[in-house]
Amino acid sequence: MMEMSEKIDLDQFDKEEFLGPSLKSCPGCSATIVARFALKALGKDTIVIIPASCLATLLATNTQTGIKIPYLHALFECGSSTATGVKHAMMRKGKENVNVVTIAGDSGSMDIGFQALSGAAIRNEDIIHICYDNESAMNTGGQLNSCTPFGARTPDWPLGKRLMKKDAPSIMAAHNIPYVATASISHLEDFYMKLKKAKKIKGFRYIHVLSPCPISWGYDGRYTVEIARKAVESGLWMLYEIENGSFNLTYKPERRIPVEEYLRMQRRFDTLTDDDARKVQEIVNELWRRYEE
Amino acid sequence: MNKIELLNGNEAAAYGAMLSGAEIIPVYPITPQTPLIHKISEFIAKGEFDADLIHLESDQSALAAAVGASLGGARVFTATNSQGLLYMAEVCYYASGLRVPIVMAVINRAVSSPHSRYPDHSDAMALKSSHWIQLFCETNQEVLDTAIQMFRICEDRRVLLPGMFSYESYLLSFTWENVEVPEQEKVRKFVGEYNPEHIILDPDDPMTINAPTTPDYLTEFRYKQKIAMDNALKVIREVGKEFQREFGRFYGLIDPYRVEDAEFVIATMGTIASTAKEVVDEMRAEGKKVGVLRIRSFRPFPREEVKKALKSAEAVATIDRNFSAGSNGALYDEMRSALYNTGIPVKGYIAGLGGRNVSKNDIREVFEDLIQKERLEEISWINLRG
Ligand SMILES: Cc1ncc(C[n+]2csc(CCOP(=O)(O)OP(=O)(O)O)c2C)c(N)n1
Repeated sequence: MMEMSEKIDLDQFDKEEFLGPSLKSCPGCSATIVARFALKALGKDTIVIIPASCLATLLATNTQTGIKIPYLHALFECGSSTATGVKHAMMRKGKENVNVVTIAGDSGSMDIGFQALSGAAIRNEDIIHICYDNESAMNTGGQLNSCTPFGARTPDWPLGKRLMKKDAPSIMAAHNIPYVATASISHLEDFYMKLKKAKKIKGFRYIHVLSPCPISWGYDGRYTVEIARKAVESGLWMLYEIENGSFNLTYKPERRIPVEEYLRMQRRFDTLTDDDARKVQEIVNELWRRYEE
Repeated sequence: MNKIELLNGNEAAAYGAMLSGAEIIPVYPITPQTPLIHKISEFIAKGEFDADLIHLESDQSALAAAVGASLGGARVFTATNSQGLLYMAEVCYYASGLRVPIVMAVINRAVSSPHSRYPDHSDAMALKSSHWIQLFCETNQEVLDTAIQMFRICEDRRVLLPGMFSYESYLLSFTWENVEVPEQEKVRKFVGEYNPEHIILDPDDPMTINAPTTPDYLTEFRYKQKIAMDNALKVIREVGKEFQREFGRFYGLIDPYRVEDAEFVIATMGTIASTAKEVVDEMRAEGKKVGVLRIRSFRPFPREEVKKALKSAEAVATIDRNFSAGSNGALYDEMRSALYNTGIPVKGYIAGLGGRNVSKNDIREVFEDLIQKERLEEISWINLRG
């Protein structure tokens, strides 16, 4: 069932690398893809704050680090508040051009980290927040959280989640911040364009990236990009941006593939019945119906 | 010229932060800390104070922002108490581990439940192991002076730890006293600049901060915090002496009152000491050799000074405005440990919880217990209803 991924032309991105070589990521980890391209797009004059998560953990150990720009491993629920302090210090010290960016998981953004995130957003702090969404609390073993989708099973919920996934980008858009976008690691040009655009805007910017995890989602690491692509091509994960309140679809699948093609590649949906799969398809159809209107 | 102003404890703390040149002040409101914040915002609104007051959405976020701002190289002040301080607990440990010299006012208030807005030391005591310097004030003048000293102490290269200075809600926070407000320029000169090199977030000097550690590493980080805290004993004394030269008032690690030849001594913290000092004067007039040892520095705890100060003591009582069920008051434990092997018995008292008054008569009874050698080596609760 393997399909060849489209080849990505790396020449179109900035050349400088800020990550590696000694990262402790699993094979097929997409959190590192998110961080790699985010830092490329933002460049050297950047400070990155990462609350407790896989990404925070895999970047450094003891005196060894795999990241070349200033990096603070923040407390789990304190990413956006710590970043607020850092940005204010930069402004105070005449370094307002330094990009202050938080890269947080979905729990660190939408659950335990949500209070600080919402606070920073409504204060319109001059911060970029990137949520890499692997739809579970992966650093602790893939437990259920508010971003786990309907039907997915987790080690702490083996029968499959019956509740819906939180619509994070809409919640962030409701803060009336200057920039909200969704992205996928399968559509790097689109993600990169959004990062570059966000970099130029002042105020709070939020980018939510779907970030498949082979361990949590249950698939072979070589399919990470493929799965992310299927999420987009099925219409389940819509790529858009909301700039100063105006919505703009940035990628439209030519012909939406059935969502089951995406679901059935992942063991976390093993317990999903055909009825439930139809329900997911219905949700996707409804999403696009609303968009067409 | 120094001027005398009628200030409550919160206003005195606000003056301390302003005179010392705090640059970033992240805050979240909690009674009775709020008037401190109001005073600071008033200073800023009037153009008297060039600080960045950040209104966070929680106490925890306020301290996290303080950490971020300090890592960015700024001088940082904040304030909280009780529920707010406990909500910050995780960040307290984080801050001291990162060695950021944040200065925080703690306006001691009992911790819920039962709910209470009134003073005791249980909030600060809950954080006694978080590797922060903890000083406790007795008067509003001391609050202002300690705020200034704290920046010097915490930012000293031999220390580089965050510090809390405590003063009790209502008893100091909402009580007005004449306070001498030193000149701005003189204070700025005394405090100096904060130029961190040990830890900084700066694209021109990239650091990875707080990398996960293996069992090979953490112990030495802690040991360095211990050394820093040991150094603080010396630095608090030095700063106290220098402050005295500049401003005429002295505060050290301890505040012994008629202790030199005292046979019976009460050790306590905060405003209970003021009442006890009055009782000491009265009982001295009656020919009784009594004294008060106010502990100003709880962290680091000045064991040697305590031992030296109590050379002639026959018995010591501690009055704790805090309590840990299953154990004792925090000061009692420290005093017993400091006096271990000296043969001086220590009797513990729990008093003043949740703002209950500790009267002169209560203090006198404690001294009488000591003099009559009654029930030494025991814990008694003062004014406990049956
Ligand atoms: C206050 C607190 N609670 C719990 C934890 C344990 N913890 C660390 S990372 C993590 C999960 C992180 O999940 P997410 O933000 O989705 O990022 P991921 O690891 O999935 O990349 C948890 C529960 C913690 N470090 N701090």
